[in-house]
Amino acid sequence: MLLQQLVNGLMLGAIYMLVAVAFTIAIGVLNFLNFSLPGLFMLGGMLAFGMMKLGWPWFLAFAGALFVAALVSLIVERFAYRPMQGSDPEVPLVSSLGFLVLLENLMLIRYGSDQQPFPALMPDMNLRIGEVVIGIAQLVSLGISVALVAWLSWFLAATNAGRRIRTVAESRETALLMGIDIRSLVPALFVASALLAALGGILFAVNYQQVSPFMGEGIGFKGVAAMIVGGMGSIWGAVVGGLLIGLAEVLSISMLGADVVNITVYGLLLLILIVRPQGLMGRPATREKL
Amino acid sequence: MALLEVSGLSVSYGRVAALNDVSLTVREGEIVTVLGANGAGKSTLLRAILGAVPAKAGGVTFAGEDVSREPPHARIARGLCLVPEGRRILISLSVEENLLLGAHMRRDTEAVRREMDAIYGRFPNLAERRKMLASCLSGGEQQMLAIGRAMMARPRLMMLDEPSLGLSPLFVSKLFALIRELNAEGLSVLLVEQNTTKALAVAHGATVLELGRVIMAGDPKALAADPRLQEAYLGEGAAAPAPY
Ligand SMILES: Nc1ncnc2c1ncn2[C@@H]1O[C@H](COP(=O)(O)OP(=O)(O)O)[C@@H](O)[C@H]1O
Ligand SMILES: [Mg+2]
Repeated sequence: MLLQQLVNGLMLGAIYMLVAVAFTIAIGVLNFLNFSLPGLFMLGGMLAFGMMKLGWPWFLAFAGALFVAALVSLIVERFAYRPMQGSDPEVPLVSSLGFLVLLENLMLIRYGSDQQPFPALMPDMNLRIGEVVIGIAQLVSLGISVALVAWLSWFLAATNAGRRIRTVAESRETALLMGIDIRSLVPALFVASALLAALGGILFAVNYQQVSPFMGEGIGFKGVAAMIVGGMGSIWGAVVGGLLIGLAEVLSISMLGADVVNITVYGLLLLILIVRPQGLMGRPATREKL
Repeated sequence: MALLEVSGLSVSYGRVAALNDVSLTVREGEIVTVLGANGAGKSTLLRAILGAVPAKAGGVTFAGEDVSREPPHARIARGLCLVPEGRRILISLSVEENLLLGAHMRRDTEAVRREMDAIYGRFPNLAERRKMLASCLSGGEQQMLAIGRAMMARPRLMMLDEPSLGLSPLFVSKLFALIRELNAEGLSVLLVEQNTTKALAVAHGATVLELGRVIMAGDPKALAADPRLQEAYLGEGAAAPAPY
């Protein structure tokens, strides 16, 4: 049933999209491939699960998970990113990978390595349109993700803070001379990307009703792939890339089988990059040119 | 009244001393020019006044307040601003966004709009291209944009770092006319220039740097007649001031 698969693919794609946007903020503005983001994605899902297990109502659990993810991201900024400024860009990349492993193992110690069932928030509420079944939770997640990214794009395009961020992305030196307070902007960007990733993890948990300490890895790589396919540093590129990879994954599972899913997804990535090395919506590099 | 007071400023990049015990004063309503050969420390001086490079010694007082420990954004909020060397237009932003960036700390949106319209009135070329990426502007237009962007911060003192560099003679004349005009409207100016003749002609005060030290300072007319001024440029091979 093709239409149903398209709907499912878009839902999955919306989650990749959030992760891809988080990556694209980190790489586009901070020039940092932040591999702690998949860990923060996982933290969003796992902590929401853990707090609900303690009896917290879902909205408090979600807020708590987002809050902790933001805090952890500030720690990553402080200890993986800030001290490495001025050295090779690979150094913070590796230390952020260290944070991913650390977070995974902390969750593993606390909750074990098994997949845990995430409680259904809106049991059996489905919308039926003809033969297509859409879960309400899915629909709400899709709506939240798209609205959030649209807002973010507007924010970057039309506000003073957005112009400050785009100035830092183009040239830190110029940003400094224009009176942009980079020291306070950078942590704010870490918080923003952490919230996007953790929200992705929460929505994943709600939609697929399962969490595990390693749920961030596969999705993190696909989020990076989505960002690259769309064009690094482009928000709408991350949107297109995320949805495309979600669709490719769901369609190839239903039509070709689950064994080949990674071949199709990463094959698609390779193909697009051969045809358009800068990604679908990316501009050729413009940074630090005068 | 002294608007800007630089006293005993020293700056080093690592072990390289770029500025050594430099003092100068800009009074309210004045144009002061800083001259010197390439590498004399002119850009470093402006960056240190803005707070973009740390001073090793000395201080900066602006409008009677010691701002030596403040970061650039705080000094800009006080009314200091820099039109940087090489213009540093943001090429991934539109012309209008570059102007708005100059006002990024201001909250009086309506006044910002009005002032932007006034800048468009002054520079019709920018108005025509307001929605285009700033990279499509010519060098002269980019310099106008850089100055417009600085004006959007509503400065009391504008520092310009070699604004005439790379411009056609026609644009250079327009630029100096503009600097005079802005000054007549009440803006104080600290002008770094290679074009010594034109700079000394508009300035009320002048300072000459050599290897990070002040070697001459005073009345621009007296300096223009002083043979030592040309010697200060000999290191660069430019014995005579630029011809236009
Ligand atoms: N970022 C920097 N790092 C190291 N040395 C620098 C830097 N910027 C300038 N310098 C050195 O400081 C001295 C003064 O430079 P600068 O202020 O740019 O001079 P000017 O603007 O008069 O040409 C020069 O010797 C230059 O090589
Ligand atoms: Mg210079």
